[in-house]
Order: sequence, then structure tokens, then C-alpha cells
Amino acid sequence: MQRFRRIVTAIALAATATTAVAACGGGDSEDDSGAKTLKLWHYESENSAMGVGWNRAIEIFKAEHPGVEVRFERKAFEQIQQNAGMIINSSEGPDIMEYNKGNATAGLLSSQGLLTDLSAEADKRGWAGKLSPSLQTTARYSDKGVMGSGNWFGVPNYGEYVTVYYNKDLFERNGVKVPTTMAEMTAAMDTFVGKGVTPLGMAGAEYPAGQLFYQLALSKADRQFVDNYQLYKNPVDFKADPLKYGADTFADWVRKGYVAKDSASLKAEDMGTAFIAGKTPMIVSGSWWYGRFKTEMKANWDTFLFPGNTLHAGSSGNLWVVPANSKAKSLAYDFIDITLRPEIQDLIGNNGGVPVAGDPAKISDPKDRKLIEDFNTVSKQDGLAFYPDWPVPGYYDVLVGGFQGLINGSKAPDQVLDTIAKPYADGVKEITGK
Amino acid sequence: MAVMITEAPAPAGRPVRDRHHRGVSRWVVLALVTVGALVMLVPFAFMLLNAFKSPGDYSSGGPLSWPTEFYTKGLRTYWTEVNFPLKLWNSTLIAGSVAVLGVAVSLLNAYALGIGRVRGRLWIVGLFLLANMLPQEALIYPLYYVAKEIGLYNTQLSVIIIFTVIQSAFGTYLLASVMGTFPRSLLEAAALDGAGKWTVLWRVVFPNLRPTLAVLLIFFFIWTWNEFLIPLVMLIDNQTQTIPVALASLQGDRLMDAPTTNAGSLISLVPAILFFLIFQRTLARGITAGAEK
Repeated sequence: MQRFRRIVTAIALAATATTAVAACGGGDSEDDSGAKTLKLWHYESENSAMGVGWNRAIEIFKAEHPGVEVRFERKAFEQIQQNAGMIINSSEGPDIMEYNKGNATAGLLSSQGLLTDLSAEADKRGWAGKLSPSLQTTARYSDKGVMGSGNWFGVPNYGEYVTVYYNKDLFERNGVKVPTTMAEMTAAMDTFVGKGVTPLGMAGAEYPAGQLFYQLALSKADRQFVDNYQLYKNPVDFKADPLKYGADTFADWVRKGYVAKDSASLKAEDMGTAFIAGKTPMIVSGSWWYGRFKTEMKANWDTFLFPGNTLHAGSSGNLWVVPANSKAKSLAYDFIDITLRPEIQDLIGNNGGVPVAGDPAKISDPKDRKLIEDFNTVSKQDGLAFYPDWPVPGYYDVLVGGFQGLINGSKAPDQVLDTIAKPYADGVKEITGK
Repeated sequence: MAVMITEAPAPAGRPVRDRHHRGVSRWVVLALVTVGALVMLVPFAFMLLNAFKSPGDYSSGGPLSWPTEFYTKGLRTYWTEVNFPLKLWNSTLIAGSVAVLGVAVSLLNAYALGIGRVRGRLWIVGLFLLANMLPQEALIYPLYYVAKEIGLYNTQLSVIIIFTVIQSAFGTYLLASVMGTFPRSLLEAAALDGAGKWTVLWRVVFPNLRPTLAVLLIFFFIWTWNEFLIPLVMLIDNQTQTIPVALASLQGDRLMDAPTTNAGSLISLVPAILFFLIFQRTLARGITAGAEK
């Protein structure tokens, strides 16, 4: 009994000590120039574009820092997604790691003081010059953790954007040309519908439906709308264009048979495998599929930018962040700098990734080059509009629920807009306090 | 069929021993059990089928198609990329230690509660049951902070301690009720022979409970083996991780690699199946141990 009591006391003491320590966490230790190890974590698979590029970056780093040991570990995405806060709040965390961009992830940790402010390094090493404004949006967070302004807390290495993948063989067989305007796009889809083929792959149970809606809305939008919707600059009216246009057009596309009604319950994986199997002529989805299609798809295929849009769903990829508890900050900065060098950026591009500062002329494969040129086009015209589910926490499920109703015809566009407007307004109120 | 039922009523006072003449219901039960077993095996069949399929094959043919080639790269990738032998050792070490320690703690707790009859034992057992029913998600943050403060964060010892407690909560609950029905006369006889508390536990109670303890051991091992959340949070280094956490590393942000995941699951399942096969007889004996008395 006495021992039991002692254990209880110990636990109670430990708990009190924790709260006391947690309250004053996040102390800076800038003088770490003597660090002899760099603990580096990321979650890209070995043979993905980023995996290949970063392996090379580690080699260069080792060559330039003789005597420094790089302790690299490949982590599970799930593990970082769920535990990053706990991991970097301990002394066991990495010195530099890849982390998810966005308000709910990098933004949240930066507002808790768990990430190092990289602004001085970004200025000194010229990172700001290498990244376009819409790429910088996800790298900078305000003191409340809202992206778009404030200090640098992360540095992206690659980009991603929503584009149109099409099956060349199916296009040729049905006598369809690659559309360059929205009118040509609908004409092309009419041709497929006329031949009994559903032209557009869709997955109502996951992100593709929300992204298509957003993409359609963006065709009538400008940067001001994106700032309002994503960065809460002004209130957003869901019953007016561009969002109204997006929902109406989406419903129209379902009615005309461009999108299959029974795709409401499909997952993104189903949509992707149907495209790989050559069953779907087109899908509107992100550049994250690119590498997989390249290795797995037998039919001829290529990509084209969603016709008629200057704004496209997309953003920087995940970020390099330096935890506040990092014991080798200056080494971490050196490593980030190496990953932004042309050599590494081109390597990412040549392996099917989308480098943020890549030179298309250095990319050998024409399809890879097209992907990167398109991205650079979007990025240069400040056209990255982020993703529809970003503004408020938990919005992803709201969008999925709303557009499932639109695809299977159980809801009118007006009703869908009502469904998604209220959680948005509530969420924004919670974040901005207005 | 009807003939079988009406034919040759068993001689009075002697039960029928021939199992082939027990009527149609036996066959119905057999058929149902067979169907049930086959249904249980379907997911394993899918796993086996897709583990040897190339990713391209999987994407174009779907999960049901027959593989066009015998593809083993998924297995090899998984084995080398996650350093499987190390993960196997980690999992075995953790699950094995938890199984042994958990059973030992349960036995001691239950001896105090079931045979020692300490005061308020009903409440204590109830508390143990409650601890067992708490969702692990609710425990994560307190566990994390305590582990961090006492320097056990990111060590296997932390996971071993946590699961020893969690598993022995269930073990205590179960064993305490088993020991509550332990024949008093046996204990009294031992006491008359001059046996102390320790001797009674070791010489009288333990041998009688051995089959039950063996079953507990196996359950604790397999439950701990399959645990995901707590190891995921507590073991952040690749050097210390367990197999289920390693499996999760195959899942990316927006993409999945179904064949490699299948291959990984297949390899990861093998040790648990082997363990089960080896101890299967112990399990069966433990479950029927009470019935024979």
C-alpha cells in the first residue's frame, strides 16, 4: 500500500512538473555551430521524385560538411501528421523535417512557438527570390498561425497543382482534339457522351469533387476572391458568382452525363485506377498522380491545363521546417539551401516531380517538361489558388458531403451552397474572431 | 435422411459413440462452420492475391484480377525499406515482455483480490475494468507527458510498462473472478500443512491455473503485437518501432501503394500466425480446462 502511494505521488509530481515545463518551452539556442550531427526526417518514398532529389541533397551536404553525421530516417506520413506537435516538443525530435503546409499543421505549430522563424535566413540566402508570391503564401504564417503573411516558418521544395490528365489513345479513337478553351472542352465531352463514354472520372467520396467545383468557380474568379476565401480578407457570398457558377456548372455537367451519377461513392484511388486501366478519357486532379501514372499506365497519356482558367487549385508542396528544439539549426539552414539549388531542383523535375525553382530547359522527358512548364505558367501569373477545403478546420468532410448530394442528384446546387456556407462562416468566425 | 433419424434408437443407458450416426444436424453444423471459415479466409485470400501483383497490374486489373506475373518486388521492397528483421525483433521483444510481465502482474493482483480477499476488492476489480475500457486516445497525452518527464519517451521500456499495465488490468479482472471460485478446502489443506502465502500461490494456485495463464499469455502477446496507436506515439525513432507502425509508413499523403501494403501485411502477419499455430494446443486446452472439472 505504501509503495502504491509512493507511485501515485511520483505520477502527480511528474504531471505538475510537466505543466510547469510546458509553459516555458520553446527556448532558443542559436549557438549550435559546433553541432556534429543533423537529424533529418521526411516521408517521401525512396524512389519518388522528392526521395531521389533529397537523397542527392544529403550526399552533397555530407561532402560540404566533412565530419558531420547525417542521421536520416524515413517516417510514416501518418506518424508526422498525428504526432508532430508531441515529437518536436520533446528532446527526441529531429533537427529538420518535412511537414505539412497549411493553417492546421505548420500554422498551428508556428503559433505555439514550436517552429523556428526562418525569415532572417530567407533574406540572407535569397530563398524569397526563388519562390513566387503564391508559393510563399504557404511558407509564411502570422502570429495566429494564418498563412499568407508574417514570418517564414517553412520552405517548400516542390509544388503541386490541379490539371487535366487525358488518355491520348481514347482521344484519337473518338476523334477528339485536346481542348484549349472551355467551349472546346464541353464539345469534347459531348462527343464522348454521344459515343456512350463518360468523359470525366470522378470520386465523390474524396477530394476530387470539391476540387472540380473549385476549379469551375475559379474560372470566374480573381485573386481578390482567393484572398477573401482563403485568407479571410472580406466575407464570401456563397450565393453569388464565382461559387454559384461553380455549383451550377457542376450540376449541369452531372445532368449532361459528363460525370457519372454513380461516382458519388467512389474514392480517389478508384478514379485513379480507372484512368490507369484506360476506362476514363479524362480526370481533373493533382500533379501528385503524375509519377504513378508514368510508371503504371500502359496507354498513351498527357496533361493539359484546365482550359480557360488563370487561377488553378494548387499550392506549394510540403515544407522543410526547423523545430524550435533543433540542436543543429545552422546545419539545417545549409541543408534547406542545398535542396533549393538548381541541381536538386532539376533532379526532382527529371523524376516526375514539380520543382519550385526548376528550369524546364534542363528537363529531358517532354512529358515531364510539359508538367513543369504548366506549373511555371500558373505560378508566374500568380495563379495558385490553394484548395477548397483549406480555409476552416473540418471543411473537407463538409465539401465531400455537399458534392456527393450534387452528384447523385439528391440536392440542388442552391441547397449544396447552403450546406457548405454555414460551416465556412462559423469556422472563419472562430479563427478571425469577427 | 429421414431413415437415419428413425433407424435404430440407441440402446437405453448407453450413449451413441459413433459420430457418423448422429443425424443430419451434425452435417448442417459442419457445412455452416465450413462456410463461416471460408468467409473468414476471404480477406486473407485477397491479401495473398494482391501481394504478388505489380502496382501497374493492380491499377489496371483491380484487386480481383489474377496477377499476370509473379511479382515479388513488393515483398523485397518492404523487407529492405523498413528493415523488417529489426522491426520483428522490436515487436517480439515488446510483445513478449508484455505477455510475461502482464501475466505475472495479473497473477499477483488476482491472488490478492480473489484469494487474499482484500477489503473493497469489488471496487478495485471495477476500477481495473474501467481502466481497461478507457479509450487509448484519452490516455495518450498524459502518458506522453509522464514519459517525457521521466526520460522514457522514445524507449521501448515505456511501451512495455504501459501495455503491462493495460493488459494486466484485464488479466486481473479475469483471474480475480477465476480465483474467487478456487476450492477453499484446497487452500485450507495447504495452510494446515504449514504453507505460507507465497508457497500457497506458487505450489497450489499457480499449477492449477497454468492452462488459464497460458491462454492469457498468448492473448497478451497477440494483442500487444497488433497495437498501433501507443507505439506510434511513443516510439518515434525507426530503430525502436514495431511492425504495425512500419506498415503504416507505406501509406503516403494522397497516394497508396496497394500491392506493397499487401505484401507488407503478409510478411507482418506470418510471425503472429506462427505463434498462434505453435501455441494453438495450449489455447484449446486452456479454454476447455474449466469444462472438464
